[in-house]
Amino acid sequence: MKRALDPHLIGLFPLAMMSVFFLAPLAFMVVVSFYERDPLGFYNVAFVWDNYAKFFSSFYYTVSMRSLWSSSLGAIVVVLLAFPAMYIIVDMSRRWQLFWVILLLSLMCLSEVIIGFAWLILMSESSGIPKFLGWIGLWEDPRSLSPSFGAMLIGFITLGFSLVALMFYPQMAQRDRSIEEAALTLGTPPLRVFTKVVLPNFWSAIISSVVTMFVYFLGVFVMPTMLGRPQDWNMTVIITDKAVGDANMPLGAALSVIMLVFTLIIIGGLMLASRKKGAAS
Amino acid sequence: MSTLLKRLFVTAIATGLILPFLIVAGVSISAESNISFPPQELSARWYTELLTQRDWLIPIRNSLVIAAFAGLLAVSIALAANYVLWRLKSGFGKLVFALGVGPFMLPPIIIAMGASVFWAEMGWYGRAEATVISHGVFFVTLPLVIIARGFAALSGDVIEASRTMGATPWQTFVKVIFPLVLPYVITGYALVAIISVNEYLISYMVSGFAVETLPIRIFNNLRYGYTPVVASAAMGFALLTIGVLLVLSTITDLLKLLGASRD
Repeated sequence: MKRALDPHLIGLFPLAMMSVFFLAPLAFMVVVSFYERDPLGFYNVAFVWDNYAKFFSSFYYTVSMRSLWSSSLGAIVVVLLAFPAMYIIVDMSRRWQLFWVILLLSLMCLSEVIIGFAWLILMSESSGIPKFLGWIGLWEDPRSLSPSFGAMLIGFITLGFSLVALMFYPQMAQRDRSIEEAALTLGTPPLRVFTKVVLPNFWSAIISSVVTMFVYFLGVFVMPTMLGRPQDWNMTVIITDKAVGDANMPLGAALSVIMLVFTLIIIGGLMLASRKKGAAS
Repeated sequence: MSTLLKRLFVTAIATGLILPFLIVAGVSISAESNISFPPQELSARWYTELLTQRDWLIPIRNSLVIAAFAGLLAVSIALAANYVLWRLKSGFGKLVFALGVGPFMLPPIIIAMGASVFWAEMGWYGRAEATVISHGVFFVTLPLVIIARGFAALSGDVIEASRTMGATPWQTFVKVIFPLVLPYVITGYALVAIISVNEYLISYMVSGFAVETLPIRIFNNLRYGYTPVVASAAMGFALLTIGVLLVLSTITDLLKLLGASRD
């Protein structure tokens, strides 16, 4: 039975699964991005640059720019909210921490479709915030708050909050508190301790979570379609629209390859920066 | 930052996260046939419709079946990868592990697009099996990281004891290692299953037109005018998700699992 448990042999199973169903599809996507569209089926084997050439037009320039804008704005806001929140939550009693962890885990698992739908209702004139504001007399002529850029951003934030918060949680709970405590005993105001001691220590964690969220928001599909206007739609919506709606898989693949290269450059840059920083300190 | 301000800030965030679902809960028990809140009259008719009508029952069945198998696949890959890393410590083991973390780093659309062209070429485009495999492979990161904590908590002396008493590696795995990492395996399985039930984009791009899952059904329903059944479906989802997590919190220490304390 010893041979049956040879670790190299067992390792072949995860290795094969990940290579065949994760790496191979990505590689094949690169191949398809050079194929020609077949109006009657999926694609014809070819080698053309047409799909990439389409990207260099004013339409895709606008789409790219607004994807970058909404993702970076969402990423910054969500980290600005989650970081101080976790700073406070890790000092709460175990009971409340468990409440938060279950809330955050539920939101992390919960479908984009459900979260988007919940906000859609909350922002509708028939049942949500506008109706309430109209009822208490603060808003004369209540109207639906979605679709709008703001609604889409709120969707992004609700979606990303649980992920960032759970990423900060272990680091925040295990941090070395000795310097903070020393500063507090010496009479430093708590807010100053937060900005001068806690924040500098977490600088690299904050940067990497902003980048992670940015990459995540680039690939969000449901929130822009449900809560945003057509002029807010990001690249992901356009890719899905081309690949599934127009059945133009080569173009969808080419746009995804461009996004993949962009993402890899960002992740690579982040890893390089953190390695340099690690070497310097 | 006084205590009051801190409390206020955290409470505001909790409200922002929970409030939308309270409204959905209200809508789902309203008797009216268009969405409105607060409900004038209470009724369970939307839940009855959800659980009796074929066009809701089929997506529910599809979602549950896909999730059950995707979880099994993800956990077996994660368990094997962790066992290899634990036995070999370096090189090959690390490579296998790194491959498993990969899907988490990329935007879901890229993975969905890749899966879509891959299954189109393989001829499985539009089949539930394709969605199962794609979910199982792409959500492997979570059980991988969680089961790694289980292996990290294994103490050397039990393994040593089992070995010196003449157990084969297989016997050691079945009788010693597996029972010790089982809580982590269950947690990983449950999380993959819940995420799979909730996932939209990959299911949509791999087999969305043929195999309607619950998120796809809800999304389509929202596009072409919706009824409060959607609200009851959303509530069913939310309750299922929270329920599974509550059960998990009783079998494992969730706070420790997420790294609240040093192990």
